[in-house]
Amino acid sequence: MKAVFRASALVLVITLAACGSDPAPEPTEQIVVREPGADASEASDTTAPEPAGEATASLVAAGKSAFNTCIACHVLEKGGANRIGPNLYGIIGQAAGSADGFKYSDAMASSGITWTKEELDSYLANPAAKVPGTTMMAGAISDAGQREAIIAYIEDASAN
Amino acid sequence: MGKWTRRAFIGAGVAAGGALVVGIAVRPGNPIDRLSPLVAKGKGEQLINAWVKIDADNIVTAIVPHVEMGQGIFTSLAQMLADELDADWSKVRILEAPADDKYVSHDIVREFAAPNLEVPAILEPTASGSFLSLATVMTLQITGGSFSIRGTGQRAMRTAGAAAREMLVAAAAKEWNVRAAELRTENSMVLHDKSSKSATFASFATAAAEQSLPAKPKLKSPKDYKLMGKPIARTDIPEKTDGSAIFGIDADLPGMKYAAVKAPPVVGAAVETMDATTAKTMPGVLQILNMGDFVAVVADGYWQAEQALATIDTTYSKTDGDGLDQDALFARYAKMLDEAGDSDGDVEAEEGDVGEAFANAATKVEAEYKVPFLAHATMEPMNCTAWVREGKCDVWSGTQMPLMARKAAAETSGIDYDNVTYHNAYLGGGFGRRAEMDMIIMATRIAKATQYPVKMIWSREEDTMQDHYRPSATSRFQGGLDKDGKAVSWSNIHTHLFDPQEAPTVPYYNIANHKIRKIDVPTHLRFGPWRSVDHSQHGFFIESFVDEMAQAAGKDGYAFRRELLAGSPRHLKVLDTAAKMSGWDKPLPEGHGRGIAFVPSFGTIIAEVAEVDMTGKKPKVKKIFVAADPGFAVNPDGFAAQMESSIAYGLTATLFGEISVKDGAVQQSNFHDYPILRINEMPDVAVEIINGDHKRLGGAGEPGLPPLAPAVTNAIFAATGKRVRELPLSKVDFA
Repeated sequence: MKAVFRASALVLVITLAACGSDPAPEPTEQIVVREPGADASEASDTTAPEPAGEATASLVAAGKSAFNTCIACHVLEKGGANRIGPNLYGIIGQAAGSADGFKYSDAMASSGITWTKEELDSYLANPAAKVPGTTMMAGAISDAGQREAIIAYIEDASAN
Repeated sequence: MGKWTRRAFIGAGVAAGGALVVGIAVRPGNPIDRLSPLVAKGKGEQLINAWVKIDADNIVTAIVPHVEMGQGIFTSLAQMLADELDADWSKVRILEAPADDKYVSHDIVREFAAPNLEVPAILEPTASGSFLSLATVMTLQITGGSFSIRGTGQRAMRTAGAAAREMLVAAAAKEWNVRAAELRTENSMVLHDKSSKSATFASFATAAAEQSLPAKPKLKSPKDYKLMGKPIARTDIPEKTDGSAIFGIDADLPGMKYAAVKAPPVVGAAVETMDATTAKTMPGVLQILNMGDFVAVVADGYWQAEQALATIDTTYSKTDGDGLDQDALFARYAKMLDEAGDSDGDVEAEEGDVGEAFANAATKVEAEYKVPFLAHATMEPMNCTAWVREGKCDVWSGTQMPLMARKAAAETSGIDYDNVTYHNAYLGGGFGRRAEMDMIIMATRIAKATQYPVKMIWSREEDTMQDHYRPSATSRFQGGLDKDGKAVSWSNIHTHLFDPQEAPTVPYYNIANHKIRKIDVPTHLRFGPWRSVDHSQHGFFIESFVDEMAQAAGKDGYAFRRELLAGSPRHLKVLDTAAKMSGWDKPLPEGHGRGIAFVPSFGTIIAEVAEVDMTGKKPKVKKIFVAADPGFAVNPDGFAAQMESSIAYGLTATLFGEISVKDGAVQQSNFHDYPILRINEMPDVAVEIINGDHKRLGGAGEPGLPPLAPAVTNAIFAATGKRVRELPLSKVDFA
């Protein structure tokens, strides 16, 4: 895994409560030991270590974790059954609406999109804007880094 | 319920992809000029509730505005809609309505706000209008009160299905140039027998949306039901069996962290000091928060958060509840009941003159009963996941009130309501606990402080010690019998009243003189609705005292109740059925006893007979016979399952359920001291359903519970001669 530097010191933030009668008071005391990004991979790494120095592997791993938001509706395995959404195996490079046996919205089926990484990225950023009328109700991912990771994971999983 | 259609109008439109969407537009409506000043101005069209759609593949989707917490409501409501639509059940899908104001459960407000509201027909639009307005204000989307089928199902799901069917038929008639009356529908098809034409619903979906809207779609009569009344398999069972079902606690987000929380043991206290010296150094810890009313540790993993939380030393502020013990609490109830005497307190029901009738009674009976606080102990502990960032807020949980949760998250986060999304999942048990908002508010506050997504999970200890409890309560009775052993007076005073208002009353029993009063007794613990709410204690109080009166009259408990119910054939039929099922007159082995109890609640009439074996050290409940008249059981298998689960839940409370306070804090903390019924303790349960009135449906989720405890304690009396006047049974010495 990549070497990660732990935040050197504890960061202490003390906030005073704004008002005692506030129905949703903020913390009277907030001790920030560490920001989540600071050593997330170290802290969450309880599985087998990745090969050292491979940025792609790290991105794929992040994508695998981020893909958890997608698995309620999508599978990502060869021959896997469509669920609420289509199987995403091998989607990169395919024409939109081409997963076998999945009933696409008319909007998606007639979109004419070919799913390059760039197209997927802009779709995931705002599905309803990219394909008005899509039935993909969830899935907008505002964080560009997360989109990149998810797409890397889809590509990696489709290659296996 | 037939009045519904006079104020319901059907709305329709074609959604993307050619789906026909049929909904019901509910308007306050005011056809009568002289009533107009009474109706709030400027309302116009208030709500469009879209509850059914048909897509191009002929799939019918029922959109269900209630939550699934194990009661099987998704299936039953879809059954009601699909039956009226003549849909092919294999092509019916179910979708939980989003947490949106359009899906407000206005029916529930109407029922709860004015449970016995009977207004003249001319006033109906006004009453309806004002309650709709109330619903909007309260942002309700409730699953509770055993209400989904008898309210939403009966009034809305069936109407939406029937309206969609009529519109499809009209569209087919036009296209085929035949009279609508010559057409019939079956299995999501429209058929014209004369010409042997048939086509799918889907082929008329678009044309149907252009048809004029039926103002009064014709609902089926029971003889034509194809799905209603059938024990259709629940659609949520496969995923709950293979583990793929998603509950609130399963929420999972990229970058999500975990929070463990601890609130002061004495409710109402504040966290004064927090020493987190050790916690700060523990692995995985991200933040330690003193929220004023609780402490939270946020960490990479939940275990890490819990471990760090356990090392934090806290001191709490003093409160009035600090020194309070359970005995002192009951002593407080007793003192206040003494002070209320024969006349003080709020009168809940009164008829005749109980004072005179009791004074002149040939036989006088008096008794006092007590029940403890009860926790809900849902299998899935309280939890909520929240993400507050950049003017947006998303919240994930399983709640009985999704709209209230969204509102609570908006108020707590300070983010505009429109930018708050509430995501509801299956509930791992509700029982009223998940009608509270504390878990939503706490998680949102934590997430607001961290600005990254956090899943807060309560430990079982927090879940047990920080519940909103069924109140502990005391109830006192005086009853009078004439020389023939006929009940002539019934006087009751009890502590607390929460809901439903009629729970302490006995309008179904013929007792000429009765007076029922309550007093409010402050306690620092929080009260909350607990399965069957106030019926849970009053079922025990009332049916125990009826049994004591029967005994004093020298009569059998069943025969005595028959006298009290004389002239009410529907009630009598339920009582007789339970007695017959149990073989009431057949002798039992030595040391065994039978007890009967009768409690109508939530619109359903129920009698239960318990058979108890008292030959061992502890009572062993062998059998429960349930006779129930819910009007009409839409899914008899689902109804029976609710009776069985009410018995499991109610027997838990009867045998061991007790939350008590010591030094102001709840003493119980986990399943070792707040046990749940085990499988070997579950009695055999037989359920017989009586469909007594298909026009007036009753509930299923709660009414099976109230008769259980008194049926058991009355059986114990029959077996041993020992009268139980305080629950749970684990406190009673039967040696």
